[in-house]
Amino acid sequence: MDILDYIWLGIQAVFMGPEAFSFLGVSVSVTIMMVLAGFLFGIVVGATPGLAGPFAMAISLPILISIFGYTPDALLPVMGFLIGIMKGATIGGAVPAILFNTPGTPDAFMTTLDGYPMAQKGQAKKALRIAHFSSASGDTFSDIVLFVCAPFLAIIVEAYLDLPEKTGLLILSLSFIAAVIGGSAGKGLISIGLGLLAVYVGTGEDFYPRMSMGAEGLSRGFPITTAVLGVLIVGAVFKELEEIWRSTGSAKPVHAPAETGDQKLHWADIKNLFPTIFRSAAIGTSIGALPGVGSTLAATLGYTVGRARHQKSKSDDAPDFGDGAPEGVAATEAANSAVSGANLIPVLSLGIPGNAAAVFLILAAESIGGFNPGPAVFRFSPDVVNPELVIAFGIFTCMTIANVINWTIGGVFMRSMGFMINIPKTLLLPAVLLLTLTAIYVQETRLEAIWFALGFGVLGYIMRVLTISPLPFVIAFILGRSLEQTARQAYSATGNDPFFLFNSPIALIFILMSVAVIIFSGRKSKGAAA
Amino acid sequence: MPEKSRSNLYVGLFCVAVALVLIFIWIPLDTKTGIVERARGKFVIGDALAPTVAAGFVLLGGLLLLVFERNAEDQPALGPSKIKFVASVVAVIGVGFAIMRFAGPAAVEVANLFREDPLEYRLLRATPVWKHIGYVMGGTIMVSGIIAIVERKMSRRAVLTGIAAVVVLIAVFDLPFDDLLLPPNGDV
Repeated sequence: MDILDYIWLGIQAVFMGPEAFSFLGVSVSVTIMMVLAGFLFGIVVGATPGLAGPFAMAISLPILISIFGYTPDALLPVMGFLIGIMKGATIGGAVPAILFNTPGTPDAFMTTLDGYPMAQKGQAKKALRIAHFSSASGDTFSDIVLFVCAPFLAIIVEAYLDLPEKTGLLILSLSFIAAVIGGSAGKGLISIGLGLLAVYVGTGEDFYPRMSMGAEGLSRGFPITTAVLGVLIVGAVFKELEEIWRSTGSAKPVHAPAETGDQKLHWADIKNLFPTIFRSAAIGTSIGALPGVGSTLAATLGYTVGRARHQKSKSDDAPDFGDGAPEGVAATEAANSAVSGANLIPVLSLGIPGNAAAVFLILAAESIGGFNPGPAVFRFSPDVVNPELVIAFGIFTCMTIANVINWTIGGVFMRSMGFMINIPKTLLLPAVLLLTLTAIYVQETRLEAIWFALGFGVLGYIMRVLTISPLPFVIAFILGRSLEQTARQAYSATGNDPFFLFNSPIALIFILMSVAVIIFSGRKSKGAAA
Repeated sequence: MPEKSRSNLYVGLFCVAVALVLIFIWIPLDTKTGIVERARGKFVIGDALAPTVAAGFVLLGGLLLLVFERNAEDQPALGPSKIKFVASVVAVIGVGFAIMRFAGPAAVEVANLFREDPLEYRLLRATPVWKHIGYVMGGTIMVSGIIAIVERKMSRRAVLTGIAAVVVLIAVFDLPFDDLLLPPNGDV
């Protein structure tokens, strides 16, 4: 089996998997339909202010698992749907940002700066077309980088990193995430520490479940769904509801500005926008490949760099960034969309989730079983088929299908979603809360899980109020067990050497980098505070 | 002029205190093996090491807040109004799930008053209508209650939204799947 055989098997797994229906004698697989459904659902969710991709992924996962079960055949349809949501939500977020000056997703905030002024000038549809074209370009560019880089990175990791180095790499990843998410190293470390503490309750190698205080409920530990959905989704709903409550806002219906003039995206426009799109796509892809650095930062960087270039090269009559420059919309959308593919590089090659969407992909893989994201996935075994590698290439195929859908019908569907702004969040969010808690119960079938999720929800709310990002908590919760297991194995494998992290040069470099990133970030925070 | 929030100082102090309690009291008392254990003549990593490292992260984070970020600008505040709001939402959810838990069995008890052969809820938890009583009542109260808190008034629209949400969720989770249990039917 060589690499081409594996790629072909991955494509076959998608196209020749279980049949959804047959059209003119051609079989259409369930996985393709799930990618399509996920993508369209993602656009709807992205276009609804107050909801975002992770919400949709969280509430879809238990339903998908109920439909497809816990068999290896379930992996590609479920992953395909979630990937569809991830991609759809990013372009959906631009719709209310351009039409109503309200970002549908946090990473679309920068899109409002030029998208809404363009809409006010009567160019709403043109701005939406630019947003879609830039988004689809950035996304496709990022996916190509993922397809090329993830296998190579995984092979390098497997070839050069042994257990002590892998332990060091996990510590470096957690430190990096603590330092970069939320802009405060102290708060990031607190979030990481709490996530690790939560995952260590009720686990361990001894017969007595540690830190359970002898309580039956804690002795089994916190189920991953209660921690992830509680902190990420329930906490976010509490925060959104509180903001609406403070504004005593029952929102009034809003209408998009009237359109005037030519709304088409011409070849000349594309030629003008291309350098901006390419630059932002490269920025978004580089940012996305780093665990923990999200699409919002990518959008901000893409916009800032784009503005600097625009000021130097624009003609006198062209609008500045912030006044309705098409380049502003393109810079933001290409950058934030380029994050989604690149974010899967650390997931697939290292097993380290970099953002909330990746967290749900790992959650799906863990729930269904048969696929453990990490360097072992890309083991090209020549004699025996590595089923995880087939799934990995199946996931790449799903991403390519989502891109094709995006380029063909994505723009039309996206432009028809303007009405989602008028769905009242006051009614939607409590229903989403019941849906999330029901989904947790359906998976865990015990009321204890609901109380855990509520507890984590309150924690997630408090963290948000205190500007402590909940994402490091979730990533630490997911990586905690693997960190402990790898450290135990490394300790045994080095003949019980307590300094195993310092005796290997690579592991030592990782540890020194972990310390350096925290110190650097801490000093930066002090500088900002002074 | 509103008082400047010093939340970083309080969060830092709280985290340092919690981490010290964890490292010196909770983890040693509530973990059967220490940081390193001697087993069959060899030293192995004990169950206390990982949570101690985790508490170390919290301690370090708290210290960074105290040393570097104590005087940061625009520190957020967790005021009493926010705590009251989230407490009231959690209370409504708690009441909703309590009703969800007991409404079905209570309905069976009421029905038994009029029957000669008594019914048992546990045997009816997969039977339509009986199995939905708790979820419909508790879910509707939860959704409409939260809407009422946010809108500061109870309205017909809130109740209708609650009913609609519950009906949609029954259609999504219950009707297509025989093996899924809506709350509270896994616990009764």
